[in-house]
Amino acid sequence: MLIRPRFTDFYGVHIAQNELDFAIPFLNEDIPLYVDPFLLWKSPSYQDKALHQMLLAGFNNLGILVRRGREEEAVEQLMVASECEEVGLGTSQNRQGKRIGAKQALEVLSLFKRIPYYQEHGFRHFEEIQLFVEGIGKDRISDIACNLMKSFLIDYTAQECRELGIALNTIEVAKVYEPGEKKFLPVKTELPVHPETKKPLLLVPKRWLRHTPYINYDDYFREYCPQDDIAHEGEELTCVKVLTYNRDNYGVIDFYVREKERTFEDCKNDPLFTQIPIISARRKLNMIKKLPTGKENGADKAYERAIGELFPSLLYPYLDFAQVQARTDSGVSIRDLIFYSSRNHVFLAELLRDYGSRQITMEMKNVQKIEREHIDQLNRYLTDDLGKFGILITRYPLKNAEFTRTIDLWSGQRKAIIAVTDADIEQMVEVFDSKQRHPLDVIIKKYVEYRRACP
Amino acid sequence: MSLETEADVEKLEKLIRQLHGLHSEISLLAKKSPNDAVNAFKLKLINKVLQAANEVLGDRYKPFADFSLFEFDDLPSNSDVTVVLTQYIQETEGYRSDNIVYSNSEHAWVYQVNGSPSKIETTPPK
Repeated sequence: MLIRPRFTDFYGVHIAQNELDFAIPFLNEDIPLYVDPFLLWKSPSYQDKALHQMLLAGFNNLGILVRRGREEEAVEQLMVASECEEVGLGTSQNRQGKRIGAKQALEVLSLFKRIPYYQEHGFRHFEEIQLFVEGIGKDRISDIACNLMKSFLIDYTAQECRELGIALNTIEVAKVYEPGEKKFLPVKTELPVHPETKKPLLLVPKRWLRHTPYINYDDYFREYCPQDDIAHEGEELTCVKVLTYNRDNYGVIDFYVREKERTFEDCKNDPLFTQIPIISARRKLNMIKKLPTGKENGADKAYERAIGELFPSLLYPYLDFAQVQARTDSGVSIRDLIFYSSRNHVFLAELLRDYGSRQITMEMKNVQKIEREHIDQLNRYLTDDLGKFGILITRYPLKNAEFTRTIDLWSGQRKAIIAVTDADIEQMVEVFDSKQRHPLDVIIKKYVEYRRACP
Repeated sequence: MSLETEADVEKLEKLIRQLHGLHSEISLLAKKSPNDAVNAFKLKLINKVLQAANEVLGDRYKPFADFSLFEFDDLPSNSDVTVVLTQYIQETEGYRSDNIVYSNSEHAWVYQVNGSPSKIETTPPK
């Protein structure tokens, strides 16, 4: 049983996120990032630029359908395009989303009639629809983009999976946009599937992902919207008023879009994980060192929070952070840090081979002295499923009796528990700063010391 | 252990220079951040010098019976390396002192090679 399982871990591919070209999807929830079509537009890659052209052609074809009186077909296409569950991007907790309704689709399509520029030329960046229609946000933009280039994403996913040795299933994908026929058609293809729902999964290149699109309503409202012209003093400036104003004053939007194009170099994809700065790591270390042991004044919570913020950055990119997990053992509340392991480091490959550790569990204990029961709690958690290697993050080195207990666990059950103390964390932060070694080397040192003590 | 050839003297002098060079570099780092780890590249160089030192000094002068080289996985810190290099410098000096004599003909301290004073000058014992 993996904690917060990811697609790759499930299929036995233990490679860290930073080494892969795509964002590793979670199996049971979405990644809180979105495809920004602007990143394709500004990309130096001809492939990405061509895909952007394909997106625009697909979207602007909706306008052509409207002009030819085939509005129902356009509404249907836009509704289909508005949700793309296969990519698992967004904020859903269960990888399911809802399409837009016909009313909202009509509102979007009305832009092709109402705004002369779009009527004549179509959209340069279809993200502009956020600036005219309420309820159209980053999730819709991302989903429409993914749907309109789904045939590319299918090929990309199949190629990446083949390279990684992930099994592909022959499956029918119900609605794939066919640029030749300019409509969504069912396609039989080979894709990986969700192990439980058996629905197809699509992978998305990391370089296309941002938390918010470069062209977005909030940015426009803050920096470019002539707020004084829209609402006079004392009047409430509502979103609806701004959107209505935009429809009647396309010149303002045109200027905004041109400015965004001019400053395209500022548009960068957002990483899936960002390390905390060194100064922040040092602050957290100092805070940890000053904290008293025990629970008084919430010292245990502060300790867990600081470690929880520090370790994912220290151990990146070898260990991807999964989550903080709270569990209860014999009535005692325990908080663990769970990391996805990878084979990209010889030590982690060894842990996977010797202990079956697909994920690494680190239990935080802000105590003066680790007791036997603390070791037993972690020991009970180290099962075949989760792996038999665990780390106690605590304040001081284990006393002889408890250290011997950890050695006995290795002797009897081939389970390894090592303790990482304040002094070790200090060295981890030191090397994080100096870059002379990687903080993971401190964990390795502790493990080597432990194994030398084993019979 | 004694110096048998002039090549041995050269080897010893090179070793002394290398130990002092490394010591001054690493002790600077140790003053700034004693707990910081030594990177793999430096560690490899340090180990090469220690390897040469172990060969020159032999069991009699080797500072620690159970230490020969740094292990990469032990993550030695700047201060760890400084301590070890200091010990090696002292023992190397002991070895050198035991192999030099004052030459009345040369009016200088010289190495003893194969049991006899050579013409290779050196500094007085420290």
